[in-house]
Amino acid sequence: MEELPGAHFAHSSEAEFARILDFYGIRWEYEPRSFPLKWDRQGRVAESFSPDFYLPDFDLYLELTTLKQSLVTRKNRKLRRMRELYPHVRVKMFYGRDYRSLLAKYDLHPAPTR
Amino acid sequence: MNSLPPIAEVLLSEEQIQDRVRALAAEIRRDYTGKDALFVTVLKGGLYFLADLTRALDMHVAIDFMAISSYRGGKGPSGAVRLIKDLDEELMGRHVLLVEDIIDTGLTASYLLRTLAARDPADLAICTLLERTSRRIVPTLPIRYRGFEVPDRFLVGYGLDYRQYYRNLPYVGVLAPRTKDAP
Repeated sequence: MEELPGAHFAHSSEAEFARILDFYGIRWEYEPRSFPLKWDRQGRVAESFSPDFYLPDFDLYLELTTLKQSLVTRKNRKLRRMRELYPHVRVKMFYGRDYRSLLAKYDLHPAPTR
Repeated sequence: MNSLPPIAEVLLSEEQIQDRVRALAAEIRRDYTGKDALFVTVLKGGLYFLADLTRALDMHVAIDFMAISSYRGGKGPSGAVRLIKDLDEELMGRHVLLVEDIIDTGLTASYLLRTLAARDPADLAICTLLERTSRRIVPTLPIRYRGFEVPDRFLVGYGLDYRQYYRNLPYVGVLAPRTKDAP
């Protein structure tokens, strides 16, 4: 786990991404909100989605997914469901290739996969 | 330099680029003729596009250049982007066009726009030769002119570099993905 002021990141790729946002002066919040996606018969939340970042200046949620295809598939499903349930919320998946391209632009290397 | 990966394919030929540059110049001429126009680009990537675009314009236009620091990565706080070469020209009351080689995440453009907008231009917009919307993080950018939408591949040439090389290619090529940091 890595820390920056205001956040304990679950993965080093998230910390690196936050540093890039900081560098460009883009305000961010880390996992500020969970969106319920499924409820059980008692009305309790059975599945939810917590996007990694919220960028208040753009009213945009971002989810990073770095490499594993199984995770990408699961997150894509959650993202589709979230868009159905919360069509007014702007959310974007930042895929592994996007992240690696961003790092390559700065001559950096990706963090280990998750 | 011997270890540079090769170009896998030409994505945009010199002829395609120059045709599009002339078409963009015609649009810009229509919109900016008679205005106090200042075209700004960021070193080093925008150099070739700005040079070709302004030479294709049959109108008076001033040009200027900026350079900004690059993100270095590593643990701990990142510091902040800063101007390492500021503009020589005043912007107040002028019609400023930010000329970019490529916009992908929009993070750099967003920073530049904030910096330029603070100097009170009469108008501020973007002309980018290439746009990669699939990687966009900043959703709201005033892109008024766009040359080509490009795919999510590692592009070089016509200002785009790989470790500072390949910028001088007259075309845009796709870098062969044989190095671990070329996606």
